[in-house]
Amino acid sequence: MQLIEQVKKIYTKLLWTWNPGSEKESGDAIVKNILLHWFPNKISKKSLSWNYSFYLGTISFILFMILTITGMILMFLYVPSVERAYSSVKDIEFVIAFGWLLRSVHRISAHLMVAVVFLHMVRVFLTGAYKNGKSVGSNRPTNWIVGIVLLLATLLLSFTGYLLPWDQLAYWAITVGTNIASSAPVVGEKIRFFLLGGNTINQNALIRFYVLHVFFLPVIVLFLFFYHMWRIRKDGGLAAADNESLNQKPENNAPVKSKTYSLLGITNGTSVHVQTTMVNEEENSVSSVPHLLRRLWLVTLATIAATILLAILFAAPLEEAANPSVTPNPAKAPWYFLWLQEIVTDTTLKLGFITINGAFIGGIILPTVLIGLAIWWPYRDRSGLNSVGVWFSPERKKQNYTFIGICIIIIIFTIIGTFLRGPFWNFYWPWESWPTMPVKF
Amino acid sequence: MNHKNMKQKLEFVIKDKIFVSIASIIFLIITGYIIVNYLTPEWKMYQQDFTSVVEEKLGVNRAATVRGGLQQIYVKDLGVTDRCITCHMGMEWKGMENVEQPFRSHPKEILAKHPITKFGCTPCHGGQGYATDMQAAHGFAPFWEEPLLGKELAEFYVISDKKAMMQMNCNTCHRYDKETNGMSVINRAKQIVNDKGCRACHVVNGRGGTVGPDLTFEGEKSAEQFNYERIKGFASMFTWHITHFKNPKELVPETVMPSFGFSSSDAQSLALLVMSWKKGKLPIEYIPGNNFKDVPSKEEIEKEERMKNGPGAFFVQRRCFVCHSVSSLGVEAAAQIGPDLALAVEDVQSRFGRTLDDFLMKPTGTMEVVLSTMLPLTKEERLEAIEKLRHAYELKKNEKKTVVKK
Amino acid sequence: MKEAESTNSNGEKEKGNNSRREFLQKVGVGSILLGAGATGFQTVRALVPDVLYEASERFKIGLPTQLSEGVTFIEDRRLYVFKEGRSYYAISGACTHLGCTVKYTKLNQPKEIEEDGIKKRINFEFHCPCHGSKFYADGTNFAGPAPRPLRWYNLEQSPDDGQLIVDLGKEVEQNFRLTV
Repeated sequence: MQLIEQVKKIYTKLLWTWNPGSEKESGDAIVKNILLHWFPNKISKKSLSWNYSFYLGTISFILFMILTITGMILMFLYVPSVERAYSSVKDIEFVIAFGWLLRSVHRISAHLMVAVVFLHMVRVFLTGAYKNGKSVGSNRPTNWIVGIVLLLATLLLSFTGYLLPWDQLAYWAITVGTNIASSAPVVGEKIRFFLLGGNTINQNALIRFYVLHVFFLPVIVLFLFFYHMWRIRKDGGLAAADNESLNQKPENNAPVKSKTYSLLGITNGTSVHVQTTMVNEEENSVSSVPHLLRRLWLVTLATIAATILLAILFAAPLEEAANPSVTPNPAKAPWYFLWLQEIVTDTTLKLGFITINGAFIGGIILPTVLIGLAIWWPYRDRSGLNSVGVWFSPERKKQNYTFIGICIIIIIFTIIGTFLRGPFWNFYWPWESWPTMPVKF
Repeated sequence: MNHKNMKQKLEFVIKDKIFVSIASIIFLIITGYIIVNYLTPEWKMYQQDFTSVVEEKLGVNRAATVRGGLQQIYVKDLGVTDRCITCHMGMEWKGMENVEQPFRSHPKEILAKHPITKFGCTPCHGGQGYATDMQAAHGFAPFWEEPLLGKELAEFYVISDKKAMMQMNCNTCHRYDKETNGMSVINRAKQIVNDKGCRACHVVNGRGGTVGPDLTFEGEKSAEQFNYERIKGFASMFTWHITHFKNPKELVPETVMPSFGFSSSDAQSLALLVMSWKKGKLPIEYIPGNNFKDVPSKEEIEKEERMKNGPGAFFVQRRCFVCHSVSSLGVEAAAQIGPDLALAVEDVQSRFGRTLDDFLMKPTGTMEVVLSTMLPLTKEERLEAIEKLRHAYELKKNEKKTVVKK
Repeated sequence: MKEAESTNSNGEKEKGNNSRREFLQKVGVGSILLGAGATGFQTVRALVPDVLYEASERFKIGLPTQLSEGVTFIEDRRLYVFKEGRSYYAISGACTHLGCTVKYTKLNQPKEIEEDGIKKRINFEFHCPCHGSKFYADGTNFAGPAPRPLRWYNLEQSPDDGQLIVDLGKEVEQNFRLTV
């Protein structure tokens, strides 16, 4: 018992700059607590509910944390050199205690993170959560754009990690992936050359991808994530809360008189003041600690357990060592780019004498248009306040159908590319077996 | 505000708490599974078995010296990392010759020439040295191209000689041997190459014609480079070569290569031979035939023998011969620095004015330094030297006399 | 059971529920602590290697007859192996001060030394290039900062192929000799 007291004391010392002695002091202390500063003091029940947000943003951050921890251990074990990379991964698989687990968890979390971040975006769109509500100072479209950048950063993180094992799968997936970049007119080849540090994927490319993967991209994601979270609070919480407040009469508190110390002396005026939007606060909300905290704890635990379970069930593959002279058949990009690879195969255009590489249309123009469209969308969405923070608002019916349509197309193409394309990119139904690929013996 | 009442109203709190507990328990179960998995790897079972086999065969004392844990042979020169000995623990043990695999010791003669620490296992046997479980280690796993070249593979390809497949790997280094001991299958194939005159059309080992493709590094090709459309049955590079040797036109209708009517076993030998022509990364000391020795001439061998075991062997062993010859005893100096010791009895007297006995017991000048630091001799050895030198002097005198008589 | 439950008062049922819940909660907290501990162990354990890309501590140096009389320096293992007739011993070449490789230095004149009251004649020493430590032929330190004599390692003959085996993991006394 005494030990627990002791631990509590240390814990308090670490997280609180000072220990409250009275009720009043506790109140002040809330402001100084790091957790309470991250969380809102109170959270509406709707924001807390499972079926509004599905906690997808939370899950993606937990996955990011899992990736950071497993990744840091793997950094000690992996050697980013063309000669040693493959064998160091073999060592991780076979002779590092729990190495197989670390690698498998890292891989599964990466795949899940791509999927969950994408689903998070779908959720935000379908609930109209990128729209501003009534709260002052809210700027949700910006946060939506930050979210898109985070999605792209997640894809890049996954893509750069894909090369590191230096096996056939990695090598050729990156070959296919980077060649898409090279199809951009004029600068394409140069971009690829800069990205790879050469014309082929070699030591330069490996170390570039490695440094991007373990330092630059994670740091970018971390900063953007903090900004993303901070914006949520500045935007008045989840959009669901805005929707809730619509049915309540806002109470206009009289501005509070205050004194400010200005350069010229004491000035009288009113304090910076955010209008209280929630009237029936008692009824509709609960305190974040412990209710939100417990929820987060639950989501964290469930995510970790699910990730490890999946990692055990689906062991991370390691193919033959990278061999620049043998292209595996089929050679596929990472799965989240397969919808592009699928489109790329069908979009080579011949207009008279001019042939436009499908990679340019499918791999450059299409994604650029989609990203541009996504960034622009919140500014053209003119639906009313009633559509903020509700699933499938009738007012946004057309938008939602368009968005779902695009998503379904992407998903279908991804599924075709992943499961139904065999050797020579021929189409195979799941019940049709692929021709066996030749082996030495 | 009454907190207790409020809590009861919040149904989700109870549910959440239950879910947290359930998630924790699931998490613990998964973690437990992983730990159990970690504590009971396949190789640990083999190591326990090995210890009990040793105990039974060689006694408890030897069993205590069995080293547990993951074992690895790392050969830097060849880039080989083999963990085979984690389970195949008896490789270098004496007295384990008749034990069942995986503990049987390796045939000694071949191991003496190819020490494990210098060659590892996979360069000869194939398989996946990185792996630590049997299935993956024997290389019968997806994405591993070099399976164990042993019994299983031989049976799969219906080869009667169970060790035939391995000879392919032997020949990666031994490719320039005309004939190699213990490589009957490859030897046969090499003989066929000579008999049938393959070099008329192909470059083999660096010389030959250009009608057909250069075969110098045929084994380096990847399996994907061959066309398997006309192959019935299992599509592998090995099958392709066998089928092609039996009847080239069956696989490549437009080919000009004649059908030699090879038997199955000859076709298999040839397939193994061409697949052995790989670009190995070999440091020169590994290349057979390169012994890092001069080849001595007949006279040199005779001389060496005479020096080592002849009447003057004493002066060779004590390294006097580095500076001195003892001509009458057949000892020839390596560097002719000092005088011929055959005449030492006279010589010492004339040079130092002392008897040989006296001088050797208490030398002066150069010999003092040499005998005190570089070539220390005991008293007995000195006495022996004196006696031998007298004998040499006798012989020398007789020699001279015979010359004079003539 | 059902009947029994219905006869109970509401309050008691609630109590049973509560205690069950509390038990579940305790189990939950227990498993999370245990699970987190095990996971922490896993991550740290992954950084303790089971196999090394280093030369093994025990290694063979060839048949005794292949060694030349006197001293042989095995450069990559920093080991001086001595052959004196039929007896063999091995002295580490790593200075006991800070681990530089000591140099085998032949003396111009044999030197008389006295150790533990026993007089000896030596004709070589070991000198360390880093901080000037000096050692007698048997490894005993006599000058410079070295705190202790050079290490002697165990030699044995393999029962399988007769080669000499050095074990850098096994230190021995200065009077150690392997007689073959």
